[in-house]
Amino acid sequence: MSSTAPLLEVRDLSVRFRTRDGVVQAVSNLSFMLRRGETLGVVGESGSGKSVTSLAIMGLLNRAHADVEGEIFFEGKDLLKLPPDELRKVRGQDISMIFQDPFACLHPMYRVGKQIAEAVRAHADVSKSAAWDRAVELLGAVGIPNAAVRARDFPHQFSGGMRQRAMIAMALVHNPDVLIADEPTTALDVTVQAQILELIDDVKREFDIGVILITHDLGVIAETASHVMVMYAGRAMEHGPAHEIFTAAQHPYTWGLLESMPTIEKRLEILVPIEGSPPSLLNPPPGCPFHPRCKYRFEPCDNKRPPLAPIPDGHLDACHLSAERKREIWRDRIAAELGVTA
Amino acid sequence: MHRRRQSVRSLRFPRHEGAGRRENGIVKKPISRLAVVVGVMAAFAVLAAVGASAHTSSKSALKAGGTLRVGWEQSFGVTDNFDPTGEYLGDAWGVFELEVRTLVNYPHVAGGAGNTIVPDLATSVPKPTDGGLTYTFHLKSNIKFGPPVSREITSHDFVTALDRLANAKDGGEYSFYFTVIKGWDAYAAACASKAGCANKSISGISTPNDTTIVFHLTKPTGDFLYRLTLPATGPMPAEVTKCFEGQPGKYGQDLISSGPYMLKGIDSINISSCSTIKPDTTGYDGQTIYDLVRNPNYVQSTDQYRKNDPDEVVFTVDASNVDIYNKIEAGQLDMAVSSIPPDVLQKYATTPSLKQYFHQNGGDRTWYLTMNLTQPPFDDIHVRKAMNWIMDKAALVQAWGGPTIGSVANHIAPDSMFKNQLAEFAPYKTAGNHGSVAKAMAAMKGSKYDTQNNGMCDASQCKNVLLLADTRSQDPKMVSVIEADAKKIGITFKVRTVNGAYPVIQTVAKDIPIAERPGWGKDYSDALTFFEPLFDGRNIIPTGNTNYSLVGITQAQCKTLKVVGDCAPYDSATGLGVPSVDSMLDKCSPLIGQPRLTCYENLDKYLMTNVVPWVPYLSSYVTRITSSNVTHYQYDQFPDDPAYENITLKS
Amino acid sequence: MLIYILRRLVWTAVVILAVLFVTYVVFFELPNGNPALRFCGKEPTEQCIQQTDARLHLNKPFYIEFGYFVKTFALGDENGWPGLGYSYGNYISVRTEIIQRAPRSLWLIAGAAVIWLTTGVGIGVLSAVKRRTLADRAAMGFALVGISAPVFWLGLMALYVVWKEHFWIPGLNHLTGGSGYVPLSDGVDHFLAHMILPWSVLALLYAAIYARLMRNNLLETLGEDYIRTARAKGLSERQVIFKHALRASLIPIVTIFGLDIALLVGTAIITESVFNLQGLGWLAYNAAISQDLPTVLGVVLCTACAVAIMNLVVDILYAFLDPRVRYA
Repeated sequence: MSSTAPLLEVRDLSVRFRTRDGVVQAVSNLSFMLRRGETLGVVGESGSGKSVTSLAIMGLLNRAHADVEGEIFFEGKDLLKLPPDELRKVRGQDISMIFQDPFACLHPMYRVGKQIAEAVRAHADVSKSAAWDRAVELLGAVGIPNAAVRARDFPHQFSGGMRQRAMIAMALVHNPDVLIADEPTTALDVTVQAQILELIDDVKREFDIGVILITHDLGVIAETASHVMVMYAGRAMEHGPAHEIFTAAQHPYTWGLLESMPTIEKRLEILVPIEGSPPSLLNPPPGCPFHPRCKYRFEPCDNKRPPLAPIPDGHLDACHLSAERKREIWRDRIAAELGVTA
Repeated sequence: MHRRRQSVRSLRFPRHEGAGRRENGIVKKPISRLAVVVGVMAAFAVLAAVGASAHTSSKSALKAGGTLRVGWEQSFGVTDNFDPTGEYLGDAWGVFELEVRTLVNYPHVAGGAGNTIVPDLATSVPKPTDGGLTYTFHLKSNIKFGPPVSREITSHDFVTALDRLANAKDGGEYSFYFTVIKGWDAYAAACASKAGCANKSISGISTPNDTTIVFHLTKPTGDFLYRLTLPATGPMPAEVTKCFEGQPGKYGQDLISSGPYMLKGIDSINISSCSTIKPDTTGYDGQTIYDLVRNPNYVQSTDQYRKNDPDEVVFTVDASNVDIYNKIEAGQLDMAVSSIPPDVLQKYATTPSLKQYFHQNGGDRTWYLTMNLTQPPFDDIHVRKAMNWIMDKAALVQAWGGPTIGSVANHIAPDSMFKNQLAEFAPYKTAGNHGSVAKAMAAMKGSKYDTQNNGMCDASQCKNVLLLADTRSQDPKMVSVIEADAKKIGITFKVRTVNGAYPVIQTVAKDIPIAERPGWGKDYSDALTFFEPLFDGRNIIPTGNTNYSLVGITQAQCKTLKVVGDCAPYDSATGLGVPSVDSMLDKCSPLIGQPRLTCYENLDKYLMTNVVPWVPYLSSYVTRITSSNVTHYQYDQFPDDPAYENITLKS
Repeated sequence: MLIYILRRLVWTAVVILAVLFVTYVVFFELPNGNPALRFCGKEPTEQCIQQTDARLHLNKPFYIEFGYFVKTFALGDENGWPGLGYSYGNYISVRTEIIQRAPRSLWLIAGAAVIWLTTGVGIGVLSAVKRRTLADRAAMGFALVGISAPVFWLGLMALYVVWKEHFWIPGLNHLTGGSGYVPLSDGVDHFLAHMILPWSVLALLYAAIYARLMRNNLLETLGEDYIRTARAKGLSERQVIFKHALRASLIPIVTIFGLDIALLVGTAIITESVFNLQGLGWLAYNAAISQDLPTVLGVVLCTACAVAIMNLVVDILYAFLDPRVRYA
């Protein structure tokens, strides 16, 4: 059961990077909310701005190179306006993050237990031995067998899955309200992926926290996300409950993603990719950012940007196509799939 | 898919009552790295500032006499560890004047007077008898060895020293001067043999009693007295030197004094047996310090030429000559055995208040370009004469640093060796010493290499002649002058630069046509030491040869020595071939007195006009700089060093 | 690990022997004339040259002479072990000589090493943390000067300014600083007064190199993923730099540090000469120019040993610092 007050609210977030070649619009006008008990799956290609968004929330962007605008509300405070010391207290304590490659993310020269204990002592004044005990306990809880012994190991002595579990343990040390997982399973085997996702899900339920799960792989979100936000070129294209996205996607980009995804149910002769490549974020095309690759583009698409707006009986969607036109396209696609003509 | 459920309840972190979860974490500040750096440096500064101990004074209270402190550049560079038997370093001979007295010696003054023979341990300077074959010396009384030997010096002690010099295993380096003594070679051969020379002695030296020593020579040797001034002939106590058999140089650290000074600490060396003798490292540590104090057994009345003013004379090695002269200026050193940095030289030569500390004396050394008589185009006397005419000697001296370094040399031997009798002899004199193209071309005419008979060397052998140069600072500058001048008479060079050119020039088979590196200084102030090693054809050896021009070399020698060149005897009609002066050398060597001098002077003239092996250009000075502590400076012409025992210090 | 160390030690001995062998070859093959000539005066005779050759062991092929050398070395001579023989020039036991000279060089290196390590690393860290600010540019400018300034110029300038012109700390004038070595037993204050300048001059070059190295290493490390994790954990920036980043970026510095120290043994010739410290470098230089083979071999041995030992030490240290490294 999710509570009604949002845990985290992002309003009109824009991130621009000042580079030698120009200004890169990494994220533009992004808004969403996260409630307790929700898992928001953020999907998009590389360069869609999903990781940058999470870094912005954590305050890990280098302000010397990045202009961040907008508001990120957490527990009544705008994180973007907090002084660095205050923000540091939030990081790791109230909002935690785990990253993609757990091997590179753990310090190779310190024992795993010590790194977790360090996380404990970062926000709490406890003795070293108490912190160590905590670390061992946490490692056991995330499913590391023989935790007391394994805690003395170095990261290179852990397997990939165990490393990610350790990262999760480290992230959960202070019982955060929000857990951001940036591609947590991309570097892992398929079998281990499922375990990790399950662990994250368990944690969400047990602690009643909100999870932001960032990935480019729809299959990862399919099981665990409660909501899905599809990002493209730094903007949200579609945002709604998970089952709606999967069963009744509205945006042509999402259609393309779903279509290009092999599943057990659908047997494809060939993978159907979305033609074209993501736009340059230095000079985003006017109008809808997806229009150069969209099969269904029409007159207003190349000059007027479609706002992210709710569709009747549906979720948020940023597309000029009318509801009727979409239904039409749906019918054609299903018919094509089934091999019959409408 | 089976879902494994794990309890994650324990992940819950214990909450703190009251203060809420957002408790300030106390972060232990690691000691800032910067703080460590600052701390370390501060610690050093503090330690350095803890100067509670008594300060070392740079100017100790001078007693009467005082301590003469001499800096020595880079390293002693001795050839036999200050062991008189084998020590050949000129500056070491200057030190030996303080510790080693010989039968005869010099007055320790500058100039020609400094090269006259006077008695030292002998009562008088004998005249040879038996047609120049016998020399008899009587020893003074009251002459004693210094501690710990402390006994009268007898004639046998000279035999000990000379035996040691003859035995090659003891490191002697100039025993060739004494092969004229009867039985010397036989003794040396016995020592080299397996049987050894333990109960043998040199038959030509006899000691009828403790105070008489007689030398029998194989042939009259006009400069024999000069040879007995060399430090290796000074008396040595056999009871000590026997412990150093076959260990050349080791005796240098236990040198027993026969002079006014002795090694500091030598008196505490236990000489009761060979095993108890340890090196006197207080006096001479082998590398960095040579410290002499007064010899209590020395009787001043037996010595009229040494004043012995300083109480102590200390030589210390300093790696940097810049540092040495800084210390001299600051008064922490009094003088130095060292090259002088050009700016220091300039400063002392030109600053009026400093000029009194700037001392220059004739150095008895000639610097010259050597031409190889077997290598074209220098196998033609016309070319060699032309080279003497064309060279701008003033410019060559300038390359060395100018007139403060020395004067232009015009013939082979330095003028002081001939008591200035040859001072006016300058067969190739030109205006300002700048050389003369006209005269050079006139000399070149008639040469085989002047094919067009126009005074220019134009044959192919005149081009790309190999010129060997060294890498001292003056060498490249000299090479430019030489190349420019030679070009005026048609000779061009291919210059090859070597760091340390001597070994190359001294290797006969290398056939080096011309080299600019050489200089030659006397061993003792007799012309023999200048002419014999340099021009005697019979002395030429494959390596280590000092007759660079190969004067007097024969065709047979060229074959054995693998010389590729023109070794035919001299033909005065063409000017080609190799002249010899061996017979003239033989004529001069037995003479004594003025006839001797005249004979060698004529030889010099002959060499410069009829052989022309060299282009001499510089007669260098010995420049010494002293500190303000030195009130009287004296130069000793024999070792070309200060007469340390005759220096006076401020009291 | 023990087996590994033993194996390395054996290999080290082999390497050192090879180095000495090469020195022998070079000495014998150098076109610098026969060293025996130095002992035969201005007019050497054949006899003298031959006898000196025999005395100095120069008359047999170099590999036989090397064999004699190894024998003496292994068995020791009357001065102790290893047997290094006597110097050609002044018949002093090479072993005694080296034992006498070594402390000077070692003190010089030790003091300079402490200074350059602390200042170099300190400046490098400062530079990396304050990247592209004035502090960074100033630090790198200093590094450029430090690397480019020749030691002999620096040394002479330092001596001139500090000692001759007495820009010394006021109140310390009684400490006659300047050149020369004063052993510790003569007073700590004098020892330091004489060593401060050589330490600083020698350290300057290395400090500059280490500053640059540290800066680059640290910047590279700061881009690693685990640094991002550390920040995400909520660690303060100071903790991130000094506990996480520094630990990883110091490792290459440690490696180089060990080797730099080892190589200075017997080779800090210029510094030793300018400040008249008369250590191993000075000894080596004099021996080399006077073709004194036994002394040259002795110093070469010292340097080779130092390098081999420091190599081993650094490798072992590396295994302790970086747990990913394990030796069979």
